[in-house]
Amino acid sequence: MTPTLSTPLPAPAIDPARTVLDIQGLRVGFPRPDGTVVTILDGIDLTVHKGEIVGLVGESGSGKSMLAMAAIGLIPPPGTVLAGHIRIASQDLPKLTERELRHVRGRSVGMVFQDPMTGLNPVRTIGSILTESVRRHQGVDRAAAMAVAEAALKSVGIPAARERLTTYPHQLSGGLRQRVMIALALINQPEVIIADEPTTALDATIQAQILDLLRDTLHRAGGVLITHDLGVAAEICDRLAVIYHGRIVETGPTADILARPHHPYTQGLLDAVPRFDRRGQRLVPIPGMPPSPLADRTPCSFRTRCPAQSAACDRAPPLAPWGGDGERLVACHHPFNAQGAAA
Amino acid sequence: MTGGGSVLGVLAKRAGELAILLFAITTLLFFLLRLGGDPAAVLAGEEADPDQVALISARYGLDQPLWWQYLRYLVSIVTLDFGESLRGGQAALTLVLDRLGSTLLLAFLALAITAALSIPIGAWLGFRPDRGDRRAANALVFILQGIPGYIVGLLLIQLFVVELRWLTSIGNQGVSSWILPSLTLASFLVPKMVRVLAANVAEAMREDYIRTARATGASDVELLFRHALPNALLGATALIGTQFAFLMSGSLITEWIFAWPGFGALLVASVEQLDFPVVQAAVFVIAGLVFLVNAGTDILFRVIDPRVRAGATR
Amino acid sequence: MSLADTRSPPPALLPRLRLWTRAASGNLLLTLGLVIVAGLTVGTLAVLLDPPEGAFRGSLIARFREPFGDYLFGTDQLGRSLLDRVAAGMPWSLGIALVATAIAVSVGTVMGLAAAWFPGWPRKVIQQLVDTVIAFPSLVIAVTVIALLGRGFWPLAVVLGLATWPIAARVVYAEALSVIKRDYVLAAKLSGVDGAVILWTHVLPALRPTLLTMFAFTFADMLIAESALSFLGLGVPLTAPSWGNMLSESREYLVNAPHMMLVPAGAIVLAVVALNLIGDGIALRSRKRARDAG
Repeated sequence: MTPTLSTPLPAPAIDPARTVLDIQGLRVGFPRPDGTVVTILDGIDLTVHKGEIVGLVGESGSGKSMLAMAAIGLIPPPGTVLAGHIRIASQDLPKLTERELRHVRGRSVGMVFQDPMTGLNPVRTIGSILTESVRRHQGVDRAAAMAVAEAALKSVGIPAARERLTTYPHQLSGGLRQRVMIALALINQPEVIIADEPTTALDATIQAQILDLLRDTLHRAGGVLITHDLGVAAEICDRLAVIYHGRIVETGPTADILARPHHPYTQGLLDAVPRFDRRGQRLVPIPGMPPSPLADRTPCSFRTRCPAQSAACDRAPPLAPWGGDGERLVACHHPFNAQGAAA
Repeated sequence: MTGGGSVLGVLAKRAGELAILLFAITTLLFFLLRLGGDPAAVLAGEEADPDQVALISARYGLDQPLWWQYLRYLVSIVTLDFGESLRGGQAALTLVLDRLGSTLLLAFLALAITAALSIPIGAWLGFRPDRGDRRAANALVFILQGIPGYIVGLLLIQLFVVELRWLTSIGNQGVSSWILPSLTLASFLVPKMVRVLAANVAEAMREDYIRTARATGASDVELLFRHALPNALLGATALIGTQFAFLMSGSLITEWIFAWPGFGALLVASVEQLDFPVVQAAVFVIAGLVFLVNAGTDILFRVIDPRVRAGATR
Repeated sequence: MSLADTRSPPPALLPRLRLWTRAASGNLLLTLGLVIVAGLTVGTLAVLLDPPEGAFRGSLIARFREPFGDYLFGTDQLGRSLLDRVAAGMPWSLGIALVATAIAVSVGTVMGLAAAWFPGWPRKVIQQLVDTVIAFPSLVIAVTVIALLGRGFWPLAVVLGLATWPIAARVVYAEALSVIKRDYVLAAKLSGVDGAVILWTHVLPALRPTLLTMFAFTFADMLIAESALSFLGLGVPLTAPSWGNMLSESREYLVNAPHMMLVPAGAIVLAVVALNLIGDGIALRSRKRARDAG
């Protein structure tokens, strides 16, 4: 728990009846100069319920940050949505105009970026950065917006919130700046907050505090935590989605996935993470290199690095339920079972 | 290369620079004048007879030993006594200061035109630098940057005075005669400032804080005017000092082309007539102006940039 | 329907190809600049070997001829061929600019390296000197010194070079400082290699693109400054056919013979744009290389 939050909030119950973010069949592509299209995200399905934190785990270049940008309608040009839906607050983002999208950004979706040192405008005060968003979306006057901003700073555990409103970003420490970024994301009480590698740029001691804060904050709405770090994801996420070369290869409850990974890639990621319960054992890196996002699609992108591949892998594996209660989905013809042996 | 420190510290540093500069210039002038031969002959002019030269020599103490002359020279400079114009006989400093207003008027008009043109154009160019129309415009600015200001002046005269007969090109005869000189002087600065501002805006638009603002729903107009442009302009203020020096250089030429009654034209005329007291006074006044502008810029920078401001108060 | 937003920063993965096409177009412009400058150089050498007669001897029955008739660029008030005159002006205008640039860049490089290498009082003194001179209008310095030394090729070239070196020094200083902090320079220092050797073999080569870019831009600036001074009647001897002098003469005849102004103006603009293209091209290429390496 962070020492600065006075009352630890009870973990809010997840409400499976209320979906705050619903991505279905999302395909995002970039045109090549020769007229063909590179598919960066290939058929992504992802739902987030009220009060739930979903971790999106993958290596750099896997498409996880592109998914975050898509969810806020900010795919960098010349990329476009080729197919699929991104539903937030009963609106489907690919169908909206730029003007309509601006009402969604910051209002229905909040975003926390990686680097708080460069992510806040150096010539604007904290107060003016925060109130700009409040006044845009809530249409209140300056004084009211300042009150909202102060409350937001308090809610992210920033001491002396009122004084901080008149300071500039460079006068704050990295940890405090990331708290300001989180305050900016939640200030209009969005349906869903997306945090893209929110602790990667921070010192290790600060990381733990910010993760605690994110656990509370994201639980109050619905949240997506994007990270390359399984340890971070394990810390605060209710469910995980593992993404590889623009496809989700495995999803399920966090504890379940960590205990019994089904996809060989998930298994590989876990073997590469240091763990207390396997002290003394050698870490096993995944052989080979992750594919370039620009590489051509194959039925299974992991095949060349996979210990279990076979002729069956000529067909693309669907993301299908596997094992017990139907909460676990995996896209593999040779899923691993409980103890990591090939089925 | 400006350091930190308080406003007073800045002023002291700049004043020190001014003193060094003036000392160097006066010493240089003193010895260069004597290097070229008998200064009395130079001062008296080419048509002077030996009696006139002797008269000048006695009047300026040029028959005294060199070190004594140098000392007296320094003392007279410190007391702002530059002597009298060799042509008209008036006090050289008065002659220059009488023309200060005209030069400043022209400089102010040129700066206003520069700001009015380069801020919007630079913002437009830098906002989406990869678009086709911006690339074409960039190429145009690039070529304009290759056209020296005095050629712009001649082209303006050719068009508006010779061909169209809309405007006059001689002296200060009221507002309509201000247009061509101030446009000409502005043309020394505009292409450079446009390119700097466009680069600054383009750089600011790539910053993470722009993405943050976009993610809170900011529109293009808000991104440009509330986030990118303030940062870009702040960066450009660091250039004011060097650009002012450039502006002064430009006003020599501009005033000369348009027979503008400022001290730039006076300096050129005095150099042609070898009227050294006036040349010295003009150089001193220009140095003083440069000092004021640079000190002012330093202080302005401390007031408007929160990073420097916070650093200074801590 | 597209979610694309046209203003976001592009991610690391996609702009490779766009970069590539831009680099190619940069090289095209760089080539164009180099071709023009090569042409001017050949022209200058040709003029030095075989001065064009028409530049000084006119025919009074052929005064103020318009361009593209018997004379490609027309004639001036004395019936002299403007093509010949603008050619005869090349050694003056380009020569002075070249010498001034060489002085400015070499003095600036030495001073910049010295300031970067010696962190004590030499750096302070040089920085102070640079700050002071840069803030002062260089044309005022040049005009004043010309008044004392007289007109001519060498006074002009030396004065322009000495008024301009601080700009070069500032650039070299900043760049050299970052090179000096690199590991291979530190390693050489620690193994006791002589400072001058390190500067010559490690630091200077790393500054090559910077120096080349600076040389091109400074050359363009010097060309403008030379013609400006000549235009004021304070540059080369009044009878020399430098481009600035030609412009100065043309002022009298703007009404009757605007081509007298346009021909030297065109020559100046052509040379300056070509040099700017070279400077920009080299800068672009070295930036691209740095990005590819990093």
